[in-house]
Amino acid sequence: MANIMQSSQEEQIVVFQLMEQVYGIDINSVYEIIRMESITKVPRSPHFVEGVIDLRGRIIPVIDLSVLFGLGQNERTQASRIIIVEVSGQTIGMIVDSVQEVLRIPVSAIEPPPPVVNGIDVAYLRGITILEERLIILLDQNKILMEEEKDQLLQPNIAGNQA
Amino acid sequence: MFSDLEIGVFIDELEEKIQVINDGLLALERDEENPDIIQEIFRAAHTIKGSSGIMGYINMANLTHEMENLFDKIRHSEIHVTSAMVNVLFEALDTLKALKEEVTGDGPAVDTSSVVAKIKDFVEGGGAAGEVPVQNSAMNEAPVPKAPAENTLASRQWLEIGDVEENVIREAELRGYQCFKVAVDIDRDCQMKNVRAFLVFETLQQVGDIIKSEPSAEDIQEGKYDVGFQVVLITKEDPDSIKNLMITISEVTEAEVQPLILSNAENMYGQTKTKEAPGAQPAIQEKNAFKQEYSDKKAVKTVRVDVNKLDNLMNLVGELVIDRTRLNRFAEIFESRFGSDDLVESINEISNHLGQVTGDLQEQIMKARMLPVAQLFNRFPRMVRDTAQKLNKEINFVVEGKETELDRNVIEVIGDPLIHLIRNSIDHGIETPEERLAAGKPATGTLLLKASYAESHIVITVQDDGRGIDANKIRNKAVEMGFVDRETVDRMSDREALQLIFRAGFSTKNNEVSDLSGRGVGMDVVNTAIEQINGTVELDTKPGAGTTITIRLPLTLAIIRALMVTLGKQVYAFPLTNVSETIRITDKDVRRIGNNEVIVVRDKILPLARPGRLFNCPDCVEATKMFVVILGSGDKRIAVVVDKLLGEQEIVIKSLGDYLGQVQGLSGACILGDGKVALIADVRGLVKKLGAEETAYAVG
Repeated sequence: MANIMQSSQEEQIVVFQLMEQVYGIDINSVYEIIRMESITKVPRSPHFVEGVIDLRGRIIPVIDLSVLFGLGQNERTQASRIIIVEVSGQTIGMIVDSVQEVLRIPVSAIEPPPPVVNGIDVAYLRGITILEERLIILLDQNKILMEEEKDQLLQPNIAGNQA
Repeated sequence: MFSDLEIGVFIDELEEKIQVINDGLLALERDEENPDIIQEIFRAAHTIKGSSGIMGYINMANLTHEMENLFDKIRHSEIHVTSAMVNVLFEALDTLKALKEEVTGDGPAVDTSSVVAKIKDFVEGGGAAGEVPVQNSAMNEAPVPKAPAENTLASRQWLEIGDVEENVIREAELRGYQCFKVAVDIDRDCQMKNVRAFLVFETLQQVGDIIKSEPSAEDIQEGKYDVGFQVVLITKEDPDSIKNLMITISEVTEAEVQPLILSNAENMYGQTKTKEAPGAQPAIQEKNAFKQEYSDKKAVKTVRVDVNKLDNLMNLVGELVIDRTRLNRFAEIFESRFGSDDLVESINEISNHLGQVTGDLQEQIMKARMLPVAQLFNRFPRMVRDTAQKLNKEINFVVEGKETELDRNVIEVIGDPLIHLIRNSIDHGIETPEERLAAGKPATGTLLLKASYAESHIVITVQDDGRGIDANKIRNKAVEMGFVDRETVDRMSDREALQLIFRAGFSTKNNEVSDLSGRGVGMDVVNTAIEQINGTVELDTKPGAGTTITIRLPLTLAIIRALMVTLGKQVYAFPLTNVSETIRITDKDVRRIGNNEVIVVRDKILPLARPGRLFNCPDCVEATKMFVVILGSGDKRIAVVVDKLLGEQEIVIKSLGDYLGQVQGLSGACILGDGKVALIADVRGLVKKLGAEETAYAVG
């Protein structure tokens, strides 16, 4: 019973860093976190798609989150990780600068995002929370995978056709 | 009610039997009184009647009952087969198919009364006096299936004894055994028919050997029988004790034991018994006595497996193949690092063995996914018959190589293209009897559908001896339809001109769109579908003499051999089916036409694609000497510059996933031995894109 109570009030998030900013994503959508490995570039794919990797026999596309957010290309370091997220049957990897910890945050502490956070379109965000004086931006994993990106995925192809 | 699983089994069986009846009717049309065929149809109808009755599909049971009645009369030569009758029977078959769709929920409710009445007319019209079928149309509204008449004791229809059984029986009699026919009826409300049947079989086998059963032993033990079943028992017991044994089994309502007396009269269905079968082991000496394998249909033991399970299995094997390749690599690395020490040798041994086992496993699973192409081909005779009748053409449809096995995915894909091709042949190819006679050909046209193996391909041929295709007609039509201008078309060779019919929207029929063909979706659809599975379509025609269309298909879709190359830092795979050759060229060989680079290979001008142009690959160096891979799809060829040739490899095709979707120029990805991902080039797409200009070059 206590458990249910707790889960209804709290949420676990995976906290990671990207361009000096701290982000969080719902742990339920995180499939696993792997180290950077060699990524096969896919020609004519959207600019934020870094390429594809082999995840135990599955081909998984990997996106560069900082490029997707329009923050520019980040540097790959020893701390860089690929967070594999699975949302409504689709699996993708997201490159982040580092993964820090798993946190429990009270649901009541999640606030709606201000219109623009750090230059990132609010569309990808679920909210922000302040925990122990840290500002954590919560991502909406559904929106990262969704419609607008699909459109974007198609456009460079069309451009490629004409080239 | 019945579970989905049970309904699934029923539907499977139903489809099988419908096919049997279909084949039978087609054969009957040609060879009217062949007792074997009649018997086969009778049995199929009987089986459907039984199982549909159990499942509560009354209309179906009723319809098949009438069919069964009719065939019962035919096989007793009380009625003779007429073409009108065959037509009605085909109608009945179509109704049966519609009923099947009703059951699966794919179709609306079906009214069977009219066709039932028509069959009844034949039964009564030609039937001998007295025996009027018990069922009548009132049964349509009956809420529960009634017991089929012949299973009541009074008019029990005993199973028939074939040649093989006869020999066994004679043998047994010589050894002092007796032979009985045993009929057992199980309570209609019995919940566990299979268990009861099992008990009956067990009990009987304690006292003797069962050499035949009706329905088959498997069906019986799965509970797939109506109210009862019959077996032929060889035993030393007397009939009364057998009967008592049967009655003591619970839920057995009735048991009847009759001595089986062999006589020539018993052998009434035409098979002359010639063989004494000297080599045949007497069945009684064998412990396992289910001898229905002897009956004329090969009863191969099978298990029905969901295709998805096979697909999963195939995926798993694919991963195993990848790991095997990886292990091989590591074994090599170990060897080079530690020399040949014991551990390295063990690893090598393990790696080799794993390699063998995986190879075998891969082959076996691949085979398990294979189906004889008969599954598809069997659909066509009926289609040809109907189409030919509609168009007033006489066609002798010849099917060869039905037993050729193909991956079931391939079979699914080629169904529609083949329908198109066959219809085309009948509609456009083969002439009417009058025209044929006038042209000095036999009135009956021949249409050949043939499947065969050739190297690692399956070749399917659709050949007719019709009027062929006139390249000039195609030229004119292409201009008329605005595909090409007159000048271009006149410069085309006949072969090139014929390729025009593969263009989307092309049709030779003048405005007259029949419901059969002529909508201009034909050949284009065929070509696209076949190329999608890495196959090719070739067309060969001689005006006045006929047309041959040859389809080449890969054996399987999941695993292909590919040429691995590097472009920049990345590895790409070109399916070997599309690679025609690799050559080395230097800068000097490259010529320019307009803005495009081309090379000349044996007098043919091929568009040359640099990786940069092909895949937007920025880090590819341009050297003065380069490797060129010549890729082909259909009639078009292109040359692609690559950095390095790595060699051939077996690769497992994986999709890039929904997220990336279709990426232009790529058909998927595969995983290499070192765990990296290589991209598979979509040769068809590339060739189409780059080769589109080829004709222009040739002209310019």
